[in-house]
Amino acid sequence: MKSDTLNGQLDPLILATVADEPAHGYAILQRLKERSGGAFDLAEGTIYPALHRLERDGLLSSAWSTESGRRRRVYSVTRAGTSALKVRRREWKQFSQAVAAVIG
Amino acid sequence: MSWLDDLSLELYARGVPRRERARIAIELSDHIACEPGCEERLGDPRELANSFADELATSEARGSAFVSFAALAVAAVVLVISQITLARFAGYPGYSNGISTLLFFPAILGMVVAPQVALVAGTLGAWRALRRRRVTSMPAEEIGLIHRRTRVALAAGLATMAGLELYVIDFSERLPAWWLGLAGGLAAVAGICLFAATRTLGRARAIVSGAQGQAGDIYDDLPLLGWSTLRTRPWLLGALASLTVGLALGGFEAHAEHSVFEGIQRGMFEGVVAAVGFVVLGRAIGARPAQQSIKRGTPGPE
Repeated sequence: MKSDTLNGQLDPLILATVADEPAHGYAILQRLKERSGGAFDLAEGTIYPALHRLERDGLLSSAWSTESGRRRRVYSVTRAGTSALKVRRREWKQFSQAVAAVIG
Repeated sequence: MSWLDDLSLELYARGVPRRERARIAIELSDHIACEPGCEERLGDPRELANSFADELATSEARGSAFVSFAALAVAAVVLVISQITLARFAGYPGYSNGISTLLFFPAILGMVVAPQVALVAGTLGAWRALRRRRVTSMPAEEIGLIHRRTRVALAAGLATMAGLELYVIDFSERLPAWWLGLAGGLAAVAGICLFAATRTLGRARAIVSGAQGQAGDIYDDLPLLGWSTLRTRPWLLGALASLTVGLALGGFEAHAEHSVFEGIQRGMFEGVVAAVGFVVLGRAIGARPAQQSIKRGTPGPE
């Protein structure tokens, strides 16, 4: 699935991925690939602007941690992010059901 | 040159602040360290830098418009407090009783004209930012429009507070010390708030967005009935706006002073000032549509 197909869906995908457990950029990407069965073929760098934007919007928070002597930014979902994810899940269910009903 | 070096240079070229650049570099170097050789899958450094810069420029433009509006609100409260206390407790001294008319006229221009410019430009800037609050990446032209509106509003706000300070100096021998201290002190505080807002605007303007698209104009901001007719006749809008301002403020003055003559005087003055403001600043703040919009007659962003 190409990245333009994901337009508008990357934010809830990231929120859903981070909601289970805080993670750094690379780990988030790996989880996305695993859960989607490798369906998402997006330029890996594109998740970083999205992560920064979600943090500016108050949906994610982040903190530095050190792993094997390397600094990394670990992201977690805020309360506002959890609420936003609930809304997006509900909208997605309605949308996908409607599309399925038409397409079959 | 490595992929990370390319990215750092592209981010620098787009004015992304140093702190943000450092954070991006650490995050992406960690990503590469997790899976050496994955640079190609990260994407083109230029496109990634564009993405960071476009989104950051959008967010900062909105932020600076809101911060500036808040600072202008402080200045507005200061102006109202100074005028109410002057009218109720200190009493207007009369223009000829000051130190010099060279102080009085710039002071009055600052206190009467500049607040109106600040109100219009600041409100339009904040309104556009609010209207586009869910947009991830605004066109560079639209970001430029928000910056111009914010800059004009802040300059007018600073001129208002400078006018109030000049008024305090001009009547320092006539007005009570408590009022001089109150008005002068509050104007200084508001001036500091406005100056802080100009720093926020400066940081926002440093980030270069390359996103394509139209800026739009006042007709997109205020989609009223009949607007499409005025879009192709900008001077009619200027005339109507000046007439409305003149009639409204002239009527207010006539009522407040119980004098039709003073009302007419004030109304004419305000109408002329509004017309001059429309000519001088109209295009800068998007109150006059851009030339290309007139030709095409096409709307800007939603």
